[in-house]
Amino acid sequence: MQAILEIAKLTFSDAIRNKIFYGVFIFLIMLLLTAIALASVTMGRTELMIMDLGLGSISILGNLMAIIITIQSLQQERESRTLYVLITRLEQRWKYIIGKFSGLAAVLSIQIILMCLLLALCIVIFGGIYWQSYMQACFTTILEIWIIIGIALLFAQSSSLFLAILLTLAVDIAGRFTFAIRQLGEQSDNPALQFLTQAMYYILPNLEAVNLRNQAGYIVQYEWSQLLQICTYSMSEIALLLCICSFIFSRKNLS
Amino acid sequence: MNPLIDVQNISLTIPTGHIFQKKKTILHDISFQVAKGTSTAYLGTNGAGKTSTFRILCGLMKADSGKVIFDGHAMSGGLPPKRFGFMPEQPYFYKNLTPQELLTGLGKLSGVDSNTLKKHVHVWAERLHFTKVLNQRLSTCSKGQVQRVGLAQALIHQPDFILLDEPLSGLDPIGRACVRDVIHDEIKRGATLLFSSHVLDDAEAICDQVIILKEGKTVFSGEIQSLLSSNDIWVIQASWNHQPDGVQEHGEVKKFIDGNYHIQGSSIASRNIIIQSILNTPGADLISVGAEKKTLEHAFVDLLHAEEGGTHASHP
Repeated sequence: MQAILEIAKLTFSDAIRNKIFYGVFIFLIMLLLTAIALASVTMGRTELMIMDLGLGSISILGNLMAIIITIQSLQQERESRTLYVLITRLEQRWKYIIGKFSGLAAVLSIQIILMCLLLALCIVIFGGIYWQSYMQACFTTILEIWIIIGIALLFAQSSSLFLAILLTLAVDIAGRFTFAIRQLGEQSDNPALQFLTQAMYYILPNLEAVNLRNQAGYIVQYEWSQLLQICTYSMSEIALLLCICSFIFSRKNLS
Repeated sequence: MNPLIDVQNISLTIPTGHIFQKKKTILHDISFQVAKGTSTAYLGTNGAGKTSTFRILCGLMKADSGKVIFDGHAMSGGLPPKRFGFMPEQPYFYKNLTPQELLTGLGKLSGVDSNTLKKHVHVWAERLHFTKVLNQRLSTCSKGQVQRVGLAQALIHQPDFILLDEPLSGLDPIGRACVRDVIHDEIKRGATLLFSSHVLDDAEAICDQVIILKEGKTVFSGEIQSLLSSNDIWVIQASWNHQPDGVQEHGEVKKFIDGNYHIQGSSIASRNIIIQSILNTPGADLISVGAEKKTLEHAFVDLLHAEEGGTHASHP
């Protein structure tokens, strides 16, 4: 446990100082200013429009950040040979994967929380919303980011920087359309396509299943049972991804 | 003396290429022992397999065959983490962290408690002369400073066995002297050292044992002194208008700024042939014949030349 914690702390301390974070905040502020400008010429409830735009932006930015930071962190650790001095201090390599995940998850969660707070401030300025459903949506966005970190960790170990980013991005996008992919297979008469789409449906993480952003702020709150389901699904997905990562990493020759 | 490390018949093949994978053999049946409390230089030309051997010892790579025995126990996935310290070649670590944060984190990973670690970090920073940058980001430190931080992280938990891959590269003469002193102190403490270097003067100054690799094969393993005492170097100083026959073939010829030639080698028979040739050549003058103590660098070059010529160096 101590080893996991130390790797998480080292990862966190390095990643939190990554300049990319400051850039994201500037980008988000600009985006919010744009939303406010748009809202000023829109009829209706301005605060809901800002919230929709803001939550969508946070999700996109969070996903991109998770992909870039995770893959960059792993690649840099390897190039700088820090990975070697970490691994030689561990009895089992899986501790590195769990520590790395924990550190990155902590950094990105803080970032999402800060962005959500900033968005909440903007919403408060323009009016009120249902805060419970908003908070629930923010929480599930964090879970979504954690899944993306798991996927990025998996690809970062087995491919180059560019390919890993590309593959994670592809899974991230496909993971939002798993239901549509299955429906496409069901509508086809081709058994091979049916098999393929069915397989994709089960293999790809269903990121739409952890999305509570669509009605956030419009309804009082989501059912707690729904939230529990999302938590269970996310945690199972993350656990599965980390197990696969650990399995591959434990057998890998670090040349 | 009991070996702390006993490497037995290690072979390693790695895939090369992208689509059509070929295999390249990096290590061919390597065997050597490192006795407790000794300091051993692990030498070889570029690509000889030094770093690969270190990575196998650390458990970063798995050998195709052979085994590593540490203190009487066969190791399956690298040496026991708390008992050895490893410094990789030219590390540059997390650029956003300070040496203090890095050493604290790595020390804790090695099981050192926080109070001891606080003292150790400052002691190592002082001994390796990086106190000034202890709280500065690693990205702002010089290559030499990072190299010294790299050595500190390998020693912070006071390991029994120290594995250093090119610890002196990128250091200025003062830095090298400082690192050499620290390594000497560690050996005095009782630690066992195995280190690779291309600077053979340093290897000679630090180590008492040497293992020489060539293209993945061990060509020498034993005491440095036994390698050096085999033959001293002779040096002939001469001048000529036309190079006498056989000089080039039997010795290493260098022209100096005063116009004279220095020829050196280690075989007595070659020396006699060259002297004879100079004396028999009109216009050639023999200025002096002397002897120099053979250095590890000379011995290393001779050994590898002898290997290329098909003759095997004697193993003591």
